[in-house]
Amino acid sequence: MAAAGSVAVALHVAEVLETIVSGCLGPEGRQVLCTKPTGEVLLSRDGGRLLKALHLEHPVARVMVACVSSHLRKTGDGAKTFIIFLCHLLRGLHEITDKEKDYFIFENIQTCGRHWKNCCQWKFISQALLTFQTQILDYIMDHYLSRHFLSIFSSCSKERTLCRSSLEMLLGAYFCGRVGRNHHNLISQLMCDYVFKCTACESRFEEVLEIVDDCFVELKVGVTGLPVSDSRIIAGLVLQRDFSVYCPADGDIRIAIVTETIQPLFSVSGSEFILNSEVQFQTSQLWITERTKAIVKHLQSQNVKLLLSTVKQPDLVIYCAGLNGISVVECLSSEELSLIQRVIGLAPFALPEASSQYELSHTALVEFCKPLILRSKRYVHLGLMSACSFTPHCVVLCGPVQGLIEQHEDALHGAFKMLRQVFKDLDLNYVTQTSDQNCTSGPCIYENSRENNELPKIVNSSIQRSYQDTVVKSKGELAKTQTNLKVCSNLIVPGVKLEKNVLCSGPKVAVTDSYQTEETLRCSSPNKGTIMDDHEPYIESNSGNSTTENTRREISYGNLQVTKLARKDSMLPLRYKSLKMCTSQRYYFSSIPAGCVLPVGGNFEILLHYYLLNYAKKCQQSEQTMVSRIIANALLGVPKILYKSKKGNYSFPQVYVRALQTLQTNQPMISNQTGLESVAGKYQLLTSVLQCLTNILTVDLVISIERQPREICDQDSEEEL
Amino acid sequence: MSRLEAKKPSICRREPLTGERAGARLAALRGLLTSCYGPAGRLKQLHNGRGGPVAATSHSAALLAGLPVSHPVLKVLTAAVRNHVACFSDGGLFTAILCCNLVENVQRLGLTPTTVIRLNKHLLSLCTRYLKSEVCACRIPVDFGSTQILLSLVRSILTSKPACMLIAKEIDHISTLILKAFLLTIPENAQEHIILGKSIIVPLKGQRVIDSAVLPGILIEVSEVQLMKILPIKKSDSFKVAVFCVSLSGDLSDTGEGTLLVSYGVSLENAALDQLFNLGKQLVSDHVDLVLCQKVIHPSLKQFLRTHQIIAVDRIGVSLMEPLSKVTGTQPIGSLGSISPSSYGTVKDLCIAKFGCKHFFHLIPNKATVCSLLLCNRNDTAWDELKLTCQTALHALQLTVKEPYVLLGGGCTETHLVAYIRHKTRNEPESVLRDERCSQTELQLITEAFCSALESLAGSLEHDGGEVLTDGKYGHFWSVQANLPSAVNWPDLPSRCGCGLYSSQEELSWSFLRSARHPFRPQTCLSHEAKGSANTLTLDCFTAKLSGLQVAVETASLILDLSCVIEDTN
Repeated sequence: MAAAGSVAVALHVAEVLETIVSGCLGPEGRQVLCTKPTGEVLLSRDGGRLLKALHLEHPVARVMVACVSSHLRKTGDGAKTFIIFLCHLLRGLHEITDKEKDYFIFENIQTCGRHWKNCCQWKFISQALLTFQTQILDYIMDHYLSRHFLSIFSSCSKERTLCRSSLEMLLGAYFCGRVGRNHHNLISQLMCDYVFKCTACESRFEEVLEIVDDCFVELKVGVTGLPVSDSRIIAGLVLQRDFSVYCPADGDIRIAIVTETIQPLFSVSGSEFILNSEVQFQTSQLWITERTKAIVKHLQSQNVKLLLSTVKQPDLVIYCAGLNGISVVECLSSEELSLIQRVIGLAPFALPEASSQYELSHTALVEFCKPLILRSKRYVHLGLMSACSFTPHCVVLCGPVQGLIEQHEDALHGAFKMLRQVFKDLDLNYVTQTSDQNCTSGPCIYENSRENNELPKIVNSSIQRSYQDTVVKSKGELAKTQTNLKVCSNLIVPGVKLEKNVLCSGPKVAVTDSYQTEETLRCSSPNKGTIMDDHEPYIESNSGNSTTENTRREISYGNLQVTKLARKDSMLPLRYKSLKMCTSQRYYFSSIPAGCVLPVGGNFEILLHYYLLNYAKKCQQSEQTMVSRIIANALLGVPKILYKSKKGNYSFPQVYVRALQTLQTNQPMISNQTGLESVAGKYQLLTSVLQCLTNILTVDLVISIERQPREICDQDSEEEL
Repeated sequence: MSRLEAKKPSICRREPLTGERAGARLAALRGLLTSCYGPAGRLKQLHNGRGGPVAATSHSAALLAGLPVSHPVLKVLTAAVRNHVACFSDGGLFTAILCCNLVENVQRLGLTPTTVIRLNKHLLSLCTRYLKSEVCACRIPVDFGSTQILLSLVRSILTSKPACMLIAKEIDHISTLILKAFLLTIPENAQEHIILGKSIIVPLKGQRVIDSAVLPGILIEVSEVQLMKILPIKKSDSFKVAVFCVSLSGDLSDTGEGTLLVSYGVSLENAALDQLFNLGKQLVSDHVDLVLCQKVIHPSLKQFLRTHQIIAVDRIGVSLMEPLSKVTGTQPIGSLGSISPSSYGTVKDLCIAKFGCKHFFHLIPNKATVCSLLLCNRNDTAWDELKLTCQTALHALQLTVKEPYVLLGGGCTETHLVAYIRHKTRNEPESVLRDERCSQTELQLITEAFCSALESLAGSLEHDGGEVLTDGKYGHFWSVQANLPSAVNWPDLPSRCGCGLYSSQEELSWSFLRSARHPFRPQTCLSHEAKGSANTLTLDCFTAKLSGLQVAVETASLILDLSCVIEDTN
């Protein structure tokens, strides 16, 4: 059976999905109840989970769900926005093709059937989309949008440290879309506290986030039957099992970890034990008992008060441990073990081979070790002394039903994923076609939030840049730069004259040379000294090239804007931007730096919408104009839903018009929202949606088959075997 | 071989609450639970139609565990209630009915969920703040110097479960026993952290309720055959006890993953038995009087021990091991080899007791916090219910020790709260309107929905067609008999309010519950004479009820917030 793939079908599917997810979007979103075949109920506002729970059959829908889940694996956020955006894009495409039937059709394929004609047209559009995604989007992000970005890091120190209020805003906005509306404040506060409590050293929070993200399952305890407001954070690690034997202990408590039974067995796997007489059997048993006792005695002599075991220990071991005042916890999962090892850096203790000597170095101190009772269930509560930057804490999540607790767990876990993404740099690269040869062929833009900009010094007619690097730059690029420089090195060393004019727009270095490279240096300085980012200026990677390059510098003071968020009078530092120029002049490598955020409530969408429309006006190529327009309009779908329930001054048209006015007059954007969201996340979402759309558009026929398509990689693996 | 099948697509339904079906089902569940509520509640008989046990109950835990619920929304509701009951034992029906009432009342209003949830949350915090405050007039601090309040609490719990089939005299007896059992679990020299002991409920069905008893220590049931073998117990001050958690049956323990080759003629059984006898000899030389084993003791070893005047009892089971180690004061022995002398425990006395037709081996500890509650009732069904109720009461007592307050029962807390909320929102609405961004009308509507949910909850205590009144001074609950002779001036009739704190007075102005009425300021701060006069009050567990209130409102908000239901039909 085969079915034609078409935009109309895809649109229909996307619209159905949109009606489901749009109900859960944003702070006004509602809950969805999922029942499992086992009879359990699960509450969710997580788009990815909902789409999975639907078990969709339609092929196009399955493509969409697959795209969403691959996007979620990358970023952990944005499933609902994905569907809404995709739906609006499809709607836009559908309308356009309805109007202009033969817009893209070439003369020579008009003889083919109508379907094939359409498919060809879709392919054309999808190519345009791909071009947009790889070239225009990055350009616009870098050139226009970046000036609006805010940074989540606090401005006062040189290192990247978390700013509590901005983290609260970021998390608040995230949980608004993830958990029930009467709990999101509580949960986001809980998470914020958790992050700060777990972070021993402020500058190494990324390490903490990584550990928490990896081991979140072990760091939470769910308690059903209590009101959600009883959720709390407790110091130390909670193991979800009871002591096999508990001996209260004070003072120095050392722990040891074992991964095998302490009591020796008659025979290990793969060996034989030959019993020749009854006496032999009895002596072996006696030896086993004695040896077990000896090992436990030795543990006691090492001051070990707690034994963590990954396996079930025989009764004898438990009995001996109890006699020697050692508490035992059995059957630790491998995840719990790895978490403990990560935190305290303790290796499992190996059972000695020879019975005479016991070298035991693998013990660690713990602060306390006691039973913890939550809702009449007993847990082991360990106060681990951390050897890394992560101070272990556990989240106790309470709720009337298991489904709600699971939702909160998922949301918290997702939030850690999201935070990790926020603190990563995201690379942008794009190509620009420079039409004017005399004009700047390679603009190198430095936006530096330091007023006292270290201006280039000129020594011996050469320009040496004394920028220090704070941004990690890829080695590959560096190498490339340098090789390129060597090519140019045979050029005449120019005489450079510097007119330094600090009060004016910047020093202008007039250069006369045969080599027509002009480099523009734009330094934007903040207009307020108090809110400056104190980052060191950057080193130019190609610092060796100064003798060979002829440069004209223009240092212009850009306009630094600080967006003041409504209600909470917190100032966020403007993010700094670095743009890396590669010497092959038309490629640009830039990045969205870590910690870039924008206020929530469709700010990103409206900004991008505005700049895309502007771009579309300037753009000559018709298909690019069209694609930009469609995307720009589709972007508004999300804010439209977000403002649906608002009335009067806060209704969508009002907000939209106000935003456009401020953008046109170049005023800083003022948002009435208190939350923040990650720019990188939004950007990745946009690219994922465009890729998904390209996927859908390029398929012209859906063929249903009996078997699974054979995987190609299978053959390789067989050969290897 | 596993069979892979394509998953069927799920069914997605929008606005799960608006449909006729959902409403009818919710109403049915509410009706069912309401009819069980309180001392006059009706019983429900649960059976599966294909044989098996029949349970007559009005206990929420038993009822909801047996009730098949298919609608997803109701599943959430029942799951929440069951979790609450698992946590607090008490207040299950209260939570369930309040939640149903709230959902139904708010559903009727048709306001946006956001407003509803925000205001419900606000009203809830108003209630919890008031109940936790010192001025609260429906909360009584517990005086541990006397048993009055605790006894009233236990009696109220017993009275509210009609399926126990107890008469007044039996209720008195059982509540005294429960309180006694609870007091026996409290350690004598209390330190900073009190670790409560355990009271074990021992079943004795088919006996009169009056025969129930509380005994310190542990009762181990022994069969008559075993009893014959047990020697007459000699008189002594204390007995040395060895408690084993390993099997003493002579079986080979885990021999590892490899193979064990046994030469011809070598008998491992004999070897193991030799080991057991060695152990027996050690026990004899250590002058042990009693050997208890969780698992099985080899008959030969038993015989050996008997010849040496040692009593051996085996097959005790894992559930008794923890109290046993508490009673004897040692850890169970896990070794067949040499036993360290420190691992023997002692008990003060041993005796054989006969209750009904059952024989028990009774261990009396020196000073342990373990006791046995021998519970009798006429038949299985009534016994099951009585056991559940006793557990509830014991749990309620434990919770009361943690938070030393009790709430007035008999509907008085609910009606008093209603009066308080009405008064508060009518007279000081400004702060709410500012914080919660809603209109005056919305606030009034939601408050009315919330209050009427509480009122109809209180009203459902009355099952016999009587009228329910509230007074205009304390805001308490007064119930009037149905079918009054018209000649009687009916407002004079109620003699005592639901909780029994106040008697009918001249100056009280009566009004029907659930009738429109001018909000008044209920008298706060419980007067001292009221506390003192408390003889036979109806009381509720503070912790359980407060948490039940919170869970009910939170669950109702959750249900009202649902925009669609995705049902996995696989």
